[in-house]
Amino acid sequence: MKIFVYSILTVFLFISLFPTFMMFITSFVPEGDLFNRTLVKTVTDFEVPRTVLLNRVRPLNTNLNLLKEENNTFFRLEAKVDFSGIAPSLGSSDINRIKYIRFRIRNQDPIIFRIGFKDIRERIEYFTERILETDADWKTIDVKLDVRKLSIDVLHISQLRIEVSGQGYVDIDDIAFINKYPTLYNFLKVLRDDYFGRYLLNSTIVSVSSVLGNLFFCSMVAYVFARKQFRFKELLFSIVLSTMMIPPQVTIIPTFILMRKIGLIDTYWALILPNLVTPFGIFLMRQYIEQLPVELDNAAYVDGANNFQIFWYILLPLSKPALAVLGINTFVLTWNDLFYPLILTTSRQMRTIQVGLALYQKLNVFTWPTLMAASTIAGIPIIIVFLIFEKKIISGILEGAIKS
Amino acid sequence: MKSKERMVIILFLLPWIISFGLFTFYPLFFSILVSFTNYTGLKPSLEFVSMNNYTRAFSDKVFLTALKNTFLFVIITVPITTVISLFLGILLTSGIRFKRIFQAGYFLPSVISMVVISMVWLYIYSATGPLNLFLTKLGFSVPTQSWLASTKTALGSIMVMDIWSALGYYTVLYVAGLQSIPTELYEAAKIDGATKWQTIRRITLPLLKPTTLFVISINSIRSFQIFTEIFTLTGGGPANSTQTIVHYLYDVSFRKFEMGYGSAVAYILFLIIMIITLIQRKLLKGEKL
Repeated sequence: MKIFVYSILTVFLFISLFPTFMMFITSFVPEGDLFNRTLVKTVTDFEVPRTVLLNRVRPLNTNLNLLKEENNTFFRLEAKVDFSGIAPSLGSSDINRIKYIRFRIRNQDPIIFRIGFKDIRERIEYFTERILETDADWKTIDVKLDVRKLSIDVLHISQLRIEVSGQGYVDIDDIAFINKYPTLYNFLKVLRDDYFGRYLLNSTIVSVSSVLGNLFFCSMVAYVFARKQFRFKELLFSIVLSTMMIPPQVTIIPTFILMRKIGLIDTYWALILPNLVTPFGIFLMRQYIEQLPVELDNAAYVDGANNFQIFWYILLPLSKPALAVLGINTFVLTWNDLFYPLILTTSRQMRTIQVGLALYQKLNVFTWPTLMAASTIAGIPIIIVFLIFEKKIISGILEGAIKS
Repeated sequence: MKSKERMVIILFLLPWIISFGLFTFYPLFFSILVSFTNYTGLKPSLEFVSMNNYTRAFSDKVFLTALKNTFLFVIITVPITTVISLFLGILLTSGIRFKRIFQAGYFLPSVISMVVISMVWLYIYSATGPLNLFLTKLGFSVPTQSWLASTKTALGSIMVMDIWSALGYYTVLYVAGLQSIPTELYEAAKIDGATKWQTIRRITLPLLKPTTLFVISINSIRSFQIFTEIFTLTGGGPANSTQTIVHYLYDVSFRKFEMGYGSAVAYILFLIIMIITLIQRKLLKGEKL
């Protein structure tokens, strides 16, 4: 029976965690996706018809001389004193993901070979030059590529160039790229291609300001509700509670119009101001302050402290547990919000990370690894916050549940 | 002294008064006004059109589709989420070890933003994605396009994703509800020789009624407001098969800038949510969570 319960729970745990786990892993895949990773990418194996091949490779200082041996076609060139070779076309490729360039070679006499790239601005750079001893058998050569050492435009490479000099026949076949795996490159790519760095900054500014505002203003309002007696107090408080029920969609149109009128659209203020004082925060802080002993206030009052001092020096420090719950929950909610920032920002520079991510997918040609990397960037801060403060987040949820 | 005290109270309440006035009270009433006009965000002219926006809504095919989809969404996802999270809640409180780890694991999807979750499921549902790969391995025939690209499967796929992402949150609520049931009741039932199933039916479920009502009502309210996943995954398509009230509101007000009509749609949504809340209040009356 027990084992049955555990297995059901484990199956659900797996279902709950697997998509997130998949997001992480996919973001480290160089090309393809998680289940079809392209780790070796064939550039050319010379097996296509000659006419097709002519569009894909260009002989350098020689002819496209193809030979066939036991069903395998390869490229043969006669080495000269000058470099000659073969240049597969790459369109306009990004070579950052590549770790090795791999090809098979067979040479009659000792030769020197060099490998380089040409970018779309026709600049050529060679990064390796080696002597190759005679070998009558095919051998596979891996040439390590360090992109950082290249000075050409590595994001837009149009040609790979393999060239040899020396004498005798040289046969070349099966040219391929070996991708780095795992790679951090997808993260760099999204940070560079889109404004993800800026989005992160915007989200941080908005979330942190909202958290600070809530901590201060909500407890300020809560202090009065918890400690003071005044007319209409309960009525006002029930108004506070009932505003929790109003869906944000109902107020968004007038809020948008208002923000546009006072010229705050597309500024941080538009995103922060409506979130500064939340009914949930007032409710939570009131509950907490109410159960702190009143004698503390009275003692401070006798000592000559004014209301603000009592609030600031006595009650606020004692309310740390509730402030933590409020702060974390506000952070999570603001960070994750899409609706408000989507409507209240118009320029790219002001988008928050959620808006940036949602529109990245809509406006760009993306690959799964880069999209998952972008998602990881947007999701990881909250996952970290959750792992650290799991208990506080859940108690915030329950606190919120009981009030309703 | 008295007036000074009053000043202090007002000063402390000021942040809330300003925020409430500017971002709740004023919008709430301005919205009603706008909903009776043909206000567009583009030109300053404004004309009173009485109930036209409301009557337009109920003859607008797209809005009616959105209404239908939203109701379908609520009617299908809410019961399933409730049953599964109740089930998980009962298992979690049955005295197992590692309860906190399981609970945190289930809860994780509900703290991650809906945009991120949508991106992951966009990948899962894609034509060559993990779901199709898995189904092919099991020998099923799979659609050649993404699950979100067909009018037949799009809404259902979003529902599955929604259930997945919401489950943990409601499980946690149930765990709290279950833990508040006094253990003496279970002990007494045990002494009386009740079976496990009888205990659940006679003690657990009746005592969980407030929790269940709460779970159903907040989940319904949340589901009526579903927007993010629609916006990111399908944009309401294909052929409006995933159009929902809030997404339509966004389309009308912020893409076509027909803000008068948008406000009317917003108020219809508000009305639906009010009704659910009132029903919940009525049912919960006198019961404590």
